[in-house]
Amino acid sequence: MTPQNPPASFYRTTEGLGLWEHRGKVAAVGVGHSPTARRWDGTPETCVGAWSILALRRAIADAGVSPNQIDGLVLDPVTTTGAYWPEGVPVPMDVVNAFHPTSDPLDGIAKLSAEWILQNMPELTNIQFVMYGPRCMSHAIVVAAQAVGEGLTHTCLVLKSWHNFEGRYYQGGANAQDTIDGTSAISRLWGTPASYGTALQFAEYCRKYGKTHDMMAPFISNSRRNGLLFPEGYWAQHRPEPLTTEDYLAARWIAKPANLFDNDIPIMVSAAYLFTTPERAKDMQQKPVYILNHTSSRATPRSLTPTLEEVEAETAKTGRKLYEGAGITAADLSFENMYDGFTLFHQFHLEGLGYRGIKCGEALDFYQTDISIEGPNPVSPSGGNIGSGRSRFWMHTDCIQQLQGRAGARQVTGVTPEIAVSGGPMPLGGNFTVWSATPD
Amino acid sequence: MSAATTVRLTHAQKGSYIVILISFDIDGTLEVGDPPGVLTMAMVKRVQKQGCWIGSCSDRPISAQRAIWAQHNISIDFAVGKLMLPDVKAKFVADMYYHIGDREDLDRKYALDAGFEFLWPHEAIVHPWFL
Amino acid sequence: MAKQGVVPDALTQPFWDAANEGRLVIQHCRACNRLQHPPAPTCQQCGSRDHLGWQEMSGRGTIYNYGVVYDCPIRLLQQDQPFNVAVIMLDEDPGIQMYSHLPGTPVDQVPVGARVEVIFEATANGQKVPEWRVVGESL
Repeated sequence: MTPQNPPASFYRTTEGLGLWEHRGKVAAVGVGHSPTARRWDGTPETCVGAWSILALRRAIADAGVSPNQIDGLVLDPVTTTGAYWPEGVPVPMDVVNAFHPTSDPLDGIAKLSAEWILQNMPELTNIQFVMYGPRCMSHAIVVAAQAVGEGLTHTCLVLKSWHNFEGRYYQGGANAQDTIDGTSAISRLWGTPASYGTALQFAEYCRKYGKTHDMMAPFISNSRRNGLLFPEGYWAQHRPEPLTTEDYLAARWIAKPANLFDNDIPIMVSAAYLFTTPERAKDMQQKPVYILNHTSSRATPRSLTPTLEEVEAETAKTGRKLYEGAGITAADLSFENMYDGFTLFHQFHLEGLGYRGIKCGEALDFYQTDISIEGPNPVSPSGGNIGSGRSRFWMHTDCIQQLQGRAGARQVTGVTPEIAVSGGPMPLGGNFTVWSATPD
Repeated sequence: MSAATTVRLTHAQKGSYIVILISFDIDGTLEVGDPPGVLTMAMVKRVQKQGCWIGSCSDRPISAQRAIWAQHNISIDFAVGKLMLPDVKAKFVADMYYHIGDREDLDRKYALDAGFEFLWPHEAIVHPWFL
Repeated sequence: MAKQGVVPDALTQPFWDAANEGRLVIQHCRACNRLQHPPAPTCQQCGSRDHLGWQEMSGRGTIYNYGVVYDCPIRLLQQDQPFNVAVIMLDEDPGIQMYSHLPGTPVDQVPVGARVEVIFEATANGQKVPEWRVVGESL
């Protein structure tokens, strides 16, 4: 079965669309995670394909369905943004042949096709719909939600996986060469690391509103604290280290004003969800969490990198679109779980949402108040990528688990978990979801 | 007071001796790092017993660095983030300053910039202090 | 600073040729009279392909923002870190940005809002690239 690419009609990218036509008619009913690791150890049991299968099977079991009830699969075929199979290094055929391979030997090792998944999960006998939701789980969720809403699939697995190899992220490849092509050079010749653009926006923000980098410390500490309460996460599993204010302020710069702990740590991990219709959800094991709306940002900067003005405009627009389609206001949010892969843009998401009435320039002050899971204004209760490593899906899992009452030690207690938002990655360019404990 | 100070005082009573400060990167350098390095905690204890100031200069959070040393019952003189070797040099008066690490850009470059001598782990491990 | 050698491609050849001649050109759409940078196969506003050309700039601008790179992904530049990377906005259109290492400006002492002028420096393979220096500062 050839995976489809999502049509443009799947995405809610503009204002004025009114309520999402499938509001409350798509439910998340199962969650499955693989273990985490810092890097692949080279064995078949832990390759990205194997852990994808594990996450999918756990989601299926969590929902309490049999595999033949599942008729849809949405996944991201790309499993990295910065760790590539080294040129010239032979692909380990013992790993390739430990599975039913596709024609691409890196499938299941450094990428992931639907074909590879379906060949290696024979229990999925009834898949009728396969689509890619590229780049991250936020995107896959939007695609799956729309597909279920439109009746293209009634019980759909949603998968996002990450691999990581030896060596440093983003090093090697074109960055290690003595030359660079002319088009890439326009933006890459000056050697900016991935967090540079966000660092620039933050620098402008601090100048404009009279804030300082130090004010980020409570957000960092809070995020890592929450992450250490996330047993599926990397830090909880491997290095249960809090991040204190001293730790944060002593960290070296990467692209000043972004320091080491403003950046997430690449890891290996997979997560899968099971989406279905509310009618089917009644017979499943977990309390359904309903999707009230999804929205997408397809904004691009005018030139090389987004300005603060562009970021503030787009995040505000995202907030308006989210509320319009869900039929809610900012006051209805129990908590927020927006993306934090670079910590320095989380506040733009918060301000765009108008979370707890925050306006532009106020988020860093808000961080100095009680933003804990026990308080009235939880910020990033998942802990995000800072709390659990680079996955771009802790925020989604947490929304589902919080609204199901299954977040364990991380369960918010200062608010009643009823409605939440999650999504990313960037302020410009991302996909966002409104989740609810009830369908209306 | 750290064990190093006690030893130094003892040595001072015997006359002058060279005060050495050794800074350790963790990941890729020490056995407890990720990836593990070749220098063992027993080796670190050995240099400390010889009167060296010791500590870590790592990307690990400072609180985590302290926890690692405490787990191995090693009382350190400093734990700092990368780029903080100048602060270490300003605070500790030694005759020789060494940093041991596994990265050219982070360990060697910044060690030399701070006026430290630099040793790769494989060089350090055969150094007389550790033997 | 030893930048990677630039190998022009079809899309950006005019930009790099002009740099070798000491001229700064930016892609321009004649249909909607709009500059765009980075260059693209079509106009980002009207979608035109046939009306895209190149317009010469005055080489004057202002420092809009900057960061300091301490951990650079590009091997050739790692020996020079930390270094400034500033964002320059052009006089002709403040929406057009260019990056610069700001030769002559001390690290982390970038005067945001200062006036700059373009200069051209050779990369590792001799291809010149536009750089910027603060007006009044000498190299």
